[in-house]
Amino acid sequence: MDRLACIDVPAVPLQLLLRAHPQWVGHPVAVVDEDVPQGMVLWHDETARQAGIRRGLRYAAALGLCSELRAGVVDAKTIAVCVAGWLERLRRFTPGVESCSDEPGVFWLDGRGLRGHYRTPRAWVDALGQESLAAGWTASIVCGFDKFATYAVAKSLASREGAGRKSASGESASRGGARVVFATPQDETVALQRVPLDRVGLDPRARDTLGKLGVRTVGEFVRLPAAGLLRRFDGATYRLHRMATGQFALPPQAEQEVEPVCAEADLDPPELDVERLTFRIKQMLDPLLDRLEREGRALATLELQIGFDGVGPVRGRPAVAHVIRPAAPTLDAVQLLGLVRLWLDATLLPSGVVALVLAVEPTVARHEQLSLFVAKPKRDRLAAARAFARLRAALGDDAVGRVRLTDGHLPEARFTWERIDRLAEAALQPRDDLVRERGVDTTVLVRRLYTRPLPLPSRPPQEPDGWLLCGLDHGPVARFVGPYVVSGAWWRSEIHREYYVAEMRQGDLLWVYYDRRRRQWFLQGIVE
Amino acid sequence: MYVPLWCKSNFSFLEGASHPDELVEEAQRFGLQSLALADRDGVYGIVRAYEKARETGLHLLLGAQVTLDDDSTIVLLAQDRNGYGNLCRLLTKGRLRSPKGESRVTWLEVCGHATGLVALWGGERSRLGRADEEEAFDLIAGPLREAFGDRLYALLTRHRRAEEVEQEARLRARALRHEIAVVAAVEVLYHTPARRPLQDVLTCIRHGVTVHTAGNRTKPNAEHFLLTPHAFERLFADDPAAVARTLEVASRCTFSLAELRYRYPSERLPDGMTSSEWLRHLTFQGARFRYQSDDIPADVTAQLDKELALVDELDYCGYFLSMWEIVEFCRAQGILCQGRGSAANSAVCYCLRITAVDPVRMGLLFERFISRERAEPPDIDLDIEHERREEVIQHVYMKYGRERAAMVATFIRYRTRSALRDVGKALGFPETELHRLTKLYSHYEGVENERLQHAGFDAASPDVQRLLDLARDIQDFPRHLSIHPGGFLLGHEPVPAFVPIENATMPGRTVIQWDKNDVEALGLFKVDLLGLGALTHLHHCFDLLKQHRNIDLDMARIPADDPATFAAIQRADTVGVFQIESRAQMAMLPRLRPRNYYDLVIEVSIVRPGPITGGMVHPYLRRRNGEEAVEYPHESLRPVLEKTLGVPLFQEQVMKLAVVAADYTPGEADQLRRDMAAWRRTGRLEQHRDRLITRMQKHGIALEFAERVFKQICGFGEYGFPESHAASFALVSYAGAWLRRHYPVEFTCGLLNAQPMGFYSAATIVEDAKRHGVVLRPIDVQQSAWDCTLEKLPPTAPGAEPKFVELPNVAFRAKSAFAIRMGLRYVKGFGKSEWGKIAAASAMRPFTSLDDFVARTDLNEGQLAALAEAGAFECFGTARRQALWRTQGLSRATPVELPVDDEAQPDFTPLDALETIGWDYTRTHHSTHGHPLEPLRATLRGMGLPDARHLSHGTHGDRVRYAGIVICRQRPGTASGVTFMTLEDESGFVNVVVWKQVFEQYAIVLKTEPFLGVTGRLQVERGVVHLIADSLWKPKLQRAPAASRSHDFH
Repeated sequence: MDRLACIDVPAVPLQLLLRAHPQWVGHPVAVVDEDVPQGMVLWHDETARQAGIRRGLRYAAALGLCSELRAGVVDAKTIAVCVAGWLERLRRFTPGVESCSDEPGVFWLDGRGLRGHYRTPRAWVDALGQESLAAGWTASIVCGFDKFATYAVAKSLASREGAGRKSASGESASRGGARVVFATPQDETVALQRVPLDRVGLDPRARDTLGKLGVRTVGEFVRLPAAGLLRRFDGATYRLHRMATGQFALPPQAEQEVEPVCAEADLDPPELDVERLTFRIKQMLDPLLDRLEREGRALATLELQIGFDGVGPVRGRPAVAHVIRPAAPTLDAVQLLGLVRLWLDATLLPSGVVALVLAVEPTVARHEQLSLFVAKPKRDRLAAARAFARLRAALGDDAVGRVRLTDGHLPEARFTWERIDRLAEAALQPRDDLVRERGVDTTVLVRRLYTRPLPLPSRPPQEPDGWLLCGLDHGPVARFVGPYVVSGAWWRSEIHREYYVAEMRQGDLLWVYYDRRRRQWFLQGIVE
Repeated sequence: MYVPLWCKSNFSFLEGASHPDELVEEAQRFGLQSLALADRDGVYGIVRAYEKARETGLHLLLGAQVTLDDDSTIVLLAQDRNGYGNLCRLLTKGRLRSPKGESRVTWLEVCGHATGLVALWGGERSRLGRADEEEAFDLIAGPLREAFGDRLYALLTRHRRAEEVEQEARLRARALRHEIAVVAAVEVLYHTPARRPLQDVLTCIRHGVTVHTAGNRTKPNAEHFLLTPHAFERLFADDPAAVARTLEVASRCTFSLAELRYRYPSERLPDGMTSSEWLRHLTFQGARFRYQSDDIPADVTAQLDKELALVDELDYCGYFLSMWEIVEFCRAQGILCQGRGSAANSAVCYCLRITAVDPVRMGLLFERFISRERAEPPDIDLDIEHERREEVIQHVYMKYGRERAAMVATFIRYRTRSALRDVGKALGFPETELHRLTKLYSHYEGVENERLQHAGFDAASPDVQRLLDLARDIQDFPRHLSIHPGGFLLGHEPVPAFVPIENATMPGRTVIQWDKNDVEALGLFKVDLLGLGALTHLHHCFDLLKQHRNIDLDMARIPADDPATFAAIQRADTVGVFQIESRAQMAMLPRLRPRNYYDLVIEVSIVRPGPITGGMVHPYLRRRNGEEAVEYPHESLRPVLEKTLGVPLFQEQVMKLAVVAADYTPGEADQLRRDMAAWRRTGRLEQHRDRLITRMQKHGIALEFAERVFKQICGFGEYGFPESHAASFALVSYAGAWLRRHYPVEFTCGLLNAQPMGFYSAATIVEDAKRHGVVLRPIDVQQSAWDCTLEKLPPTAPGAEPKFVELPNVAFRAKSAFAIRMGLRYVKGFGKSEWGKIAAASAMRPFTSLDDFVARTDLNEGQLAALAEAGAFECFGTARRQALWRTQGLSRATPVELPVDDEAQPDFTPLDALETIGWDYTRTHHSTHGHPLEPLRATLRGMGLPDARHLSHGTHGDRVRYAGIVICRQRPGTASGVTFMTLEDESGFVNVVVWKQVFEQYAIVLKTEPFLGVTGRLQVERGVVHLIADSLWKPKLQRAPAASRSHDFH
C-alpha cells in the first residue's frame, strides 16, 4: 500500500474549548490568543466562518460581524497534551506518523508496508475513523498520494462533514467526520483544485489579498506565477504554492521517538536486603551512566520504580516510584548510590522486591573551567546543595523548602512554602554591634501559626475562674488586645474575623480570633 | 461629638465609594456639625459637597490629601481664603509637573504654601508612622513644624488593623518629640459599610487587577465608613483629647466657597475710557451697522440703554468686551462664528455681532439672559466652525496666559456599558464575554437581566448577580477627568487661586478641576467656545461659490423667505441641513410645513423632549392645520402665546406667562426656568405649582388650563429650547437649506469636506445627491485632491440634464455645470501627508502610468493597495485587481531588481457591479458607482421586496415586506420604548417604527443586522409614510450588500 493519509482533527483548540464550555455548543465559537477584546482569532467554527469571521481578525471586529460569537483562550500546554495523545493513538496504526508543527490536529500517516495489516486503503481509513470516533473526536481523514493534497482536501471536508454522502472520489461521511480515499493521483489533483484557498493555512494577510484578487481556490492559486507570488507575499505563501504544485512531494516525516535511558530487572528470588538491593541498582546504573558519558550527557534525575512480591502494580506501574535528584547533574555513581541508599533506608519495604526499573532523565553535561587559585567562599553552596539532595532523598521532596511571602490579608494567605534546590546568595545582615550602637530594640517575638486554626470551646467570658477561652490548659485570660478585623472575600464565601492577642494568666500569649460568620472562637497561633 | 477630618469621596477617582452628597447627608443624619472633604490631590468634589452642605446647614471643611514626591501623604485643610488659594496653587504645582492623573509635590513646597492651612499628618502612607530612620524623619518634621506651627497635627487613624498598633506607637513618640498635638480620625472612603465591595472593586479597577488577585491592594476590612459620634468616641475611648481636638481643628477652619470673590479679566481700553463707556461705544457703533442707519430705531435704543445699564450695574462689561474681542478675532481670521443660547436674547450681543438674531424684532426676553434678581453671570455660547476652533482656543490662551485661562473639565462617569466592562473585569469575568455583553447595551439602557441572558450569562448565578448589583452601584461615579468641549474659565486673578489646574491628555491643553456645573454653581464666568460642523460646512460652500461662480456670499446675504427653499423643507428634503435633517425632524417637516423663518424656529424647537412630553406638539399641529380653534385662556396671554397659536413652546413663553398671568417678577420667572431645568433632580418645581395655579385663577384663567400649563412647564424639565437658541440655530438651518436648494453641488461638496459631522454618513449624502441629479465622480489619483472638488461639466455631458423618475423626498433636480470629484480624504488608510507626496509629484509633471506613479510618490504597499482598491488607478486604464497585484509587486521591487514588466501578468476576473460597490464601501465608505442594493434589485424584486419609492406610494394599512440598509436606529427616552429606524435603498428612505414588544422579540437582529428585512403595515398620515414593523428578519441573499456604519442610539 503506497498511500499516505492525512487526519485533520478540525481546530483542536476549538474542540477543547467546547469541551470546557459545553453550553456554547450551537453558538458560533472562536479561540483567541488573549482574553481581551483585541485578542486575535486563531480558530473558529463553521458558523463563525459563515458570518465572515476569519483567522487573524480581532475579537472586537469579529463580534461586529457576529454578535453571538463566543470566544475563549486555550493554552498551549493543553493543546500539546492533546496532540501528544493523538500521536500515541495514531502510532497504533503505523509507525510513520508526522504531526504538523504549524497546525495542531493535523497528522500524516505513512501507509507504506501496511498491506499485511489492512487489505485496502479504505479498511485502513475506516479503522482510523473508528479510533477517532471512539476517542470522542471529530476528524476528517483523507487517504491519497500527496501530503499537501490530502491535507488540503481534509481541511476542506471540515465544513461538509455530516452530510452522509458518497462521491465519485470515494468521499463518505459518517459520525465522527468525513473520510475520502482517492483511487488515483488524478482524482486527488482534481479534488485539490477545488479546495477553497482559505482552508489551507495561508497567512491571513496573503489570504485576504488573494481573496480580493478573486483567487479563491487552490486551482486558481496554482495558476499564479510563482515568482510573482514570491515578490508580493511572504516565503510561507510561496512554499505553499510550491507544495500545491507538487514540488514538495515528500513522504510523511515520522517523528523519532526518543529512546529512553532506562534499565529493567526482575529479581528472583525476591530481594529484601537493602545492601544487596543497592548493589543490584549499581549494576543497573553503571551502564546507563557509561552511555550518558559517551553521549556527552549527565544524569539530572533518576526515577526508581520498584515492584514488590505480592503487591500488584498500580495502573500498570510498579508499586513504588521515587525520583532521586542529585545536587547537580552528575555521572558520579557513588553520589547517586548514596542518595539511593538514603531513600531505601528511610523506606519501609512491604515485601521482597521482585522488579526494578531505573529511568534516567538526562541533560547536557556542563564542563566548567577548573579554578586553581580562586579563594574559597566561606559558604560552600555546592555542599549545601548536596546536603539538600541527601535530605530530599531521605525525607522526601518536600523536606527542603522555604517560606515566600505573598500578598494577602489572612494570616494563612500571607505566605506560601516553596521548594528550594539551591541556596541563594546570602544577603548582608546588619552587624549586631551596629544595631546595639543605634539603640534599636532587636527583641523579636515569634508567632507560630497552626496549619489549620484550632476551634476553641465556647466559654462564657464571665466564669468563676475568669474567662477560660482556651480551656483549662492555658488558664483564664488576663489581658485581651484587639479586635483587629480582617473581613472580605465577599465575592466567594464572605469572612469576618476579629483577631485578638490574649495574654493568659499563666503567661502564654495566644493569637485568637472570633469568626463572626461561624460564631466561634479559633486559636490561630501562639506568640513566643 | 467629633468631626470626621479625612473623608474621601468618589472624586478621589477609583478610590472613594460614595458621592460627596452622600457623605454630607450621612453626616447630617448622624447629627454631626462639620465634615472635612479631602480628596486625593484635588478639589474636584468640593462644589457638590458645598452645595449639599449649604442645603443641609453642615459646616464643610475643605481640603485635599496631598501626595509627596516620596510617595507619602499629608492632609491639608483650608483655614481661610488665603489657605484655600495656597492649597490650589500647591496642587497645581504637583499636577502640572506630573503625568495626567498623578500629582507630586515636595516637602519644601508644602512648607512654602503653609499659610492659612491646617496640616493633618498621619495615615497609612504618612512618614509620621512609617518605620523610617529617625534622622531622615527629623529632616522633614522640623521644617514642617516650623512652617505650620500649632496648625500641624499628628493624625491618629484607627481602622482595626494589627499593623496600626506599631505605627501608632511610633506616631505618638514622634509627635511627643516634636510637640505635635494628636488628633483622631478615620480615613473615610464610603458613607456606609455596604459600599465596601464597591470600594474593593474600584481599587481593583485602579490597579488593573481582579478581586481574586488584588492581595493587599484592597483594604483588609470594612472599617472605612463614616462613624456615628458614639462609635467614634468608643474607637478612641483611650484618648478623648484626640477626639476633642477634631472640634478644635473644625473651629479653626472657617473657610467657605462663598468667600470666593471673582473678577473677570479687564480688557485693554482706549485711553480715558472706562469699560462701561467702551462697551457702550462699541454697542452703538454696532447698532448703526446692524440697522444700516445712524438713526437707530427708538425701541432698539431703549432696549440697549436698559441692557447696558444692567450690565454696568452688575459689572459684566469686561465679559461682554471679551466676547466681542473673540468674535472680532474670528472675523479677522475669516472664521465663521455665531453666538447661541440665551445670549441671543440680548440686543447688546446682537449689536456687538456676537449673535445674529435681532431680539427686539423677535420680541425675545432679555431677562432670560441676565436678571438682577439672579446674581449669576450670563452665559454666552459661541459656535465656531469646528475645523478652526483650535485656533480660537490658542488665541484665548495667548491673550490671557495659562495662569488666567484654563479649560473647564468634564467628568467621565460610569454608564451601563463601562460599568459592566470595568466591574466585570474586576470580578474576573472573561473580557471577551464582557465585550460581547456590552455590545448588546445601548447608551441609554440600564443594567438589565434580560440582556445578560441574551449574552449567555446565567442571571441566576451569584457571580452574575454581584456583577449586576455593583454595576448599578457604580453608575454615575466619576471615573476620570476629561476636557469640556469648549468651556473656558477666565480670571483677573490667576485661576490657580480658585481651583487647581492640571494637564489634559491633549497636548497644549490645561484643565481646571471643576466641570461646568461647578463653575456655574459658584457664579464664575465661563466662555464657551464650541465647535459646530454646520458652520464649517457653510464656510466651505461660500468658498466654493466664490471660487467657481464668483459669487460672494455670507450668512447675512442669503435671501430671506425663499419659497423654493421652504418647498424643499416642507417635503423633508433636508439631508445635510443643520438641525432639520434627523429622522424625527424629517418626520415632522411634512406635518408642520414651515413657510417662513419663524416656522423654522418652531420646527427646530418642537422636536425636543420638553414639548413632546409636555403634550404640546399635537395641539400645536392641530391648531396650525385648522383642526382646532386657536384660543387663549385669557386675553392678557394673547401677546405671550400668539406666536405659537396659544400653545407655549419655548422657555421664554413660560417665563412671560408667569409674569403676565401669575405676577412673577422677571427674576422670579428666571428662577422658575432654573427650577424647570432641575425639577427631576431637586423637585423644586412643586413649590411653584400652587402659586402659579392660584394666581392664574385669580386672573380669570380656568383651573383646567392652569393645570395644563403647569404640566407643560414640567415637560420643559426634560429638555426644551429657549426661543433665542432656536432662533440662532434656525438661521444656520435656513442658510443650509437655501444653499442645498439653489447650489446642491456646492452644498454636497462642502458637506462632504466638512465630515465627520451631522446625522448621515458619506454614503447616504452621496446617494441623496445622486438622487438630486448631482454628478459625482470617483476618486482618481490624477484628478482628485485631498478634499472633494468641483469639475466643470461639458454642456452636453450626460448628467448635465438628467432624466429622472419621481422619487420620494426629492423636491428638486440639480442643473449644474459642475460635477463633484471625490477627494482622497475618503480613502481609508490614506492620510493627508501621503496626499502631500502625490501633490508634490504631480506638480512637477502629470503621472503617465501606474509605474510612474509608484516610482515618484514613494508610497508604501498599504497606501498603494488602498488606492488600488478604491479604484483610484483606473485613470491609467488599470482595473482594480490588476492594479492591486501590480502595485504590490512594484512597491516591493528593489532598484537592482529586473523590471516587473518582465513578469507574467495573471488574468484576474473583473469586478462585477456588486463587487465594485462593495470595494468602494470597504475602502471609501461610499460609492459613486451605485447604491449597494442597485445590483440586487432584480433579485429583491423576485423575492417580492419593493423599493422605497414603491412604498412611498402605498396606502394606509397596506401589508408589506421590505428590505433595506439600516442607516439609523433610535430609541428616544420620550417614546416609551418605541424604536425608530431609517432604512435606505437606491430610491430613498423608509422610516420604520418598532413597538416595544416587537423590539424585545427581535432585539438582536434589529441591533446588529446592517441589511434588514421588515414585515409590517404602512401608516400614511399627511404624506408621511411609516412602516410599522410586525417582524424583522435577515434577508436570505447569496451575496450580501455592503453597508456603511449606521447612526445608532445617539
